[in-house]
Amino acid sequence: MSAIEPLGEFEQVVLLAILRLDNDAYAVTIRDEICAHTGRDVSRGSVYITLDRLETKGYLKSWFGDPTPERGGRAKRYYALRPRAVEALRENRRALVSLWRGIEEKLA
Amino acid sequence: MNWTSLLRSLPRDLRETVAGDIEEESAALRARRGRIYAEAWAWCEAARLAAVFRIERFTHRRDVPPIGEELRRRTNISDAIRQDVAFSIRLLRRQPGFTAVALLALALGIGANTAIFGVVDAVLWRPLPFSNADRIVSLAEQRPREGRWFGPVSPADFYDWRSQTTSFAAMAAYEDAFVNMTGSGEPERIRGLLATPGFFDVLGMQPALGRDFRADQETVGRHRSVLLTDAFWRRRFGSDASVVGKTIAFDGNSYEVVGVLPAAFWWPTHPDAIVPLAMDAHDRALRAAHFLEVTARLKPGVAPQQAHEELAVLGQRLAKDFPAENGRHFPNTRPMRAALVGDARTALLVLLGAVGFVMLIACANVATLLLARAAGRQKELSVRKAVGASRGRMIQQMLTESVMLAVVGGLLGVLIGSWGLAGLRAIVPAQFESLPGIDGLGLDLRILAAAFSLTLITGMVFGAAPAIVASDDRLSAALNEESRGSSGTVRTQRVRSALVIAELALSLVLLTGAALLLVSFARLSNVTPGFRSEQLVIARLQIPSTRYGDHPRTVAFYQELYARLRAVPGVVRVGATSAPPFSGVDARLDLTIERRSDDLASPVRAHPRLVSTEYFYTMGIPLLRGRGFSDMDGAAVKKVVILNDAAVRRYWRGQDPIGQRVSLGAPDDWMEVVGIVGDVKHSGLDVEIEPEAYIPHRQGFTSLGTGFARAMSIVIRTTSDTASTAAALLAVVHGIDPLQPLGIVRSMDDMIAASVAPQRLNLVLVSAFAVVALVLTAAGLYGVMSYLVTQRTREIGVRMALGATRGQVVGLVIRQAGKMTLVGIVCGVVGALLVTRSMTSLLFGISAANPLVYAGVTVLLALVAMAAVAVPSTRATRVDPLIALRDA
Repeated sequence: MSAIEPLGEFEQVVLLAILRLDNDAYAVTIRDEICAHTGRDVSRGSVYITLDRLETKGYLKSWFGDPTPERGGRAKRYYALRPRAVEALRENRRALVSLWRGIEEKLA
Repeated sequence: MNWTSLLRSLPRDLRETVAGDIEEESAALRARRGRIYAEAWAWCEAARLAAVFRIERFTHRRDVPPIGEELRRRTNISDAIRQDVAFSIRLLRRQPGFTAVALLALALGIGANTAIFGVVDAVLWRPLPFSNADRIVSLAEQRPREGRWFGPVSPADFYDWRSQTTSFAAMAAYEDAFVNMTGSGEPERIRGLLATPGFFDVLGMQPALGRDFRADQETVGRHRSVLLTDAFWRRRFGSDASVVGKTIAFDGNSYEVVGVLPAAFWWPTHPDAIVPLAMDAHDRALRAAHFLEVTARLKPGVAPQQAHEELAVLGQRLAKDFPAENGRHFPNTRPMRAALVGDARTALLVLLGAVGFVMLIACANVATLLLARAAGRQKELSVRKAVGASRGRMIQQMLTESVMLAVVGGLLGVLIGSWGLAGLRAIVPAQFESLPGIDGLGLDLRILAAAFSLTLITGMVFGAAPAIVASDDRLSAALNEESRGSSGTVRTQRVRSALVIAELALSLVLLTGAALLLVSFARLSNVTPGFRSEQLVIARLQIPSTRYGDHPRTVAFYQELYARLRAVPGVVRVGATSAPPFSGVDARLDLTIERRSDDLASPVRAHPRLVSTEYFYTMGIPLLRGRGFSDMDGAAVKKVVILNDAAVRRYWRGQDPIGQRVSLGAPDDWMEVVGIVGDVKHSGLDVEIEPEAYIPHRQGFTSLGTGFARAMSIVIRTTSDTASTAAALLAVVHGIDPLQPLGIVRSMDDMIAASVAPQRLNLVLVSAFAVVALVLTAAGLYGVMSYLVTQRTREIGVRMALGATRGQVVGLVIRQAGKMTLVGIVCGVVGALLVTRSMTSLLFGISAANPLVYAGVTVLLALVAMAAVAVPSTRATRVDPLIALRDA
């Protein structure tokens, strides 16, 4: 896990949503956050799979909250970014901003 | 069931979390949209997630093709196998057409084999339901000069054999009988078995309740005991254990129930009750009347051959002591199973051979498909070789594929097989009901194990050739060439052609077998029985000696019955006989011709039949010479007899027997021949007609005991159907005697149809297998020819560019297919000539080498082969020379 792999588009979206949610980031709120900001109806399956993949790659850490009755006595699984993820997001933004520079008028 | 169960395909550590999330969202939905909506949503969501994870798993975690895995130096064999399996599944899914054809061929082959193996195993190989059944033998009398090897035994012989041999631990005689049971409910005609005490020692079985017969119960007077079978005890007595010790009435006599047999008791005739076979001193001394079946258990340590030899020596001595009675027959022995299975053995083995052929054709078919496909995969194979795959590793991979195919085909096959078995069980002809194992026919571990082994062997056999050919270095070069447009090296093409030729040859053998059975069945169905069988209804009656002890009373009962029946609307004529055709009832007695018999070389015997005056008219049996019976032919006047034509042909050879006197079974009891009637097929359409002697019922006949005249079959020619005739008959019988039960009422046409049911079943099964074989072969030929046409596209293009006509191109393809077909047919004809010889005993009126059948089958196969080639050959003519050359 030495080199920082480039992030996929959806992976970035998920990481940003987790960052925005601070300490309340679990699958349900992450998906709601993405839907609210992008206007896309994201499938739950892709959220779970992406979270799983990002955790395997070492971008995320997760922990279990307390079981709650409205979840049928099951615990929430909370996610938070590891420093690698923050670094990768920064690197991505830098690359994008650099690419965007000077082309604003072409898109206008 | 809860929707959470759908989440099983998720990784374990995610399952609970995801379930919690869905539950949480579903709770929110419940508040807004109601409970049902929320629950439905949860189900849908869980199902969707399950699907997503399954795909994810399949595409990202396990779906690593085993290409080049050698570089990773993996040593774990189970991993390699798992990868091969996953890879094979993906390949098979990618080519649904190929997979479907291969699976269909395998499923049909394995299914047919499973079903037939199930039957053959049950009847021929599974242990008989007796303890140490291989120690039980069946004893019989052989008459070498008549070509009869296992005939019934006379009482005197049985008692001599039993008392004068030392090889047997127990020996018993038995005889089938129907008895009328009265008291405790409706009178009923039940199936009985008369067996001497010792019968259950032979079978190695004891009653579950009560006791066995005592040795002294084979004496008349002490024999009034009965053992009930478990099924009859349950049905008739509601499993009441207190029935032991009570008495029941058989034929008007009281019998004490001494015991109930265990449920495991099995006997081919499926009797309801067993009664001691008792004889008086007169009957015990009978040497000329043969009607007993005999079975015995060998003493421990005595070989069957030893016992046979001891009996043979005794037989020689008896022949010397009683030359008149015992001079022409000798004892014979055979294993119990051979006696129980009899002729069915050949039919079953022929069927097993037929399905075996179907299996071989299916294997050859799939092997050609795999070979063709291997050619298309040479790129993959060379890549794998380049990254270091060993030849063994590649063969393993390809064998895994064929075994995978076989396993899926096998599972489908077992399904088809279990349907087949259930179907066979439902259509088993009555003649086969007596075979051992038929009652419990169904899938069991033995059959499943056999199907599983067949599946594995199949996978190995049809996978081996393609795997070896495709992984061979020289041949892979050949495959390379093939993809560039020639039709392969000589060797690969030879393998393919050989497989197709084998399919053609095997098909021809099966088709020949089916055609022989078809022609033989058609001839059998065309045999006229010698009487008009339509609109004829038959029922058996047996009136008891207690109420109808003397002959006049018996005759009076039947006369009353005929008179009342004639008054029933729809009844045209009424007759009666002691032994109607196709009923299985029969007897044979020595026939003495006054001042003649001495000069006749062969044994002079005839089948006695008691008949009513109207019998010949009712049946439509023609009177050829002399006169029929009249009501004047009674006991008081001169005794008369009518012979059938076969008797006259055999014993008088063209001379006129009318006016001569004969006796039957009882010397000096002369009867005058007054007429000759046409021959009637008695024992079956395919059985040669034997001499018969018809005796007027009124006159009576005592050579076979006084009971002979009391058991008669009523024959009614009627314009109404069987059911209403049966109802009328029962009403009439009960009108005369309310205690008198009636046997099964059947139409004569049904009885004839039932008599050829085994042949029909054989024909249907072998034909079905032959059709499957033909379809598989056509598919195989089609597959190979289309493949060859595709491979030769460039060559055909060049030929057409150089001016070849469409006709010439078609000729090119047809010639190639024609060569294979011709070789296949020649091999097939030779094979059929060899194989169908074993079917001779199943054929009627046709030789196994009938040239017309062979010609017809050959033409049929050639036509089907040409039809299979038609599509590929027309495709060849549509080759555009420009495109063919450019693509090459």
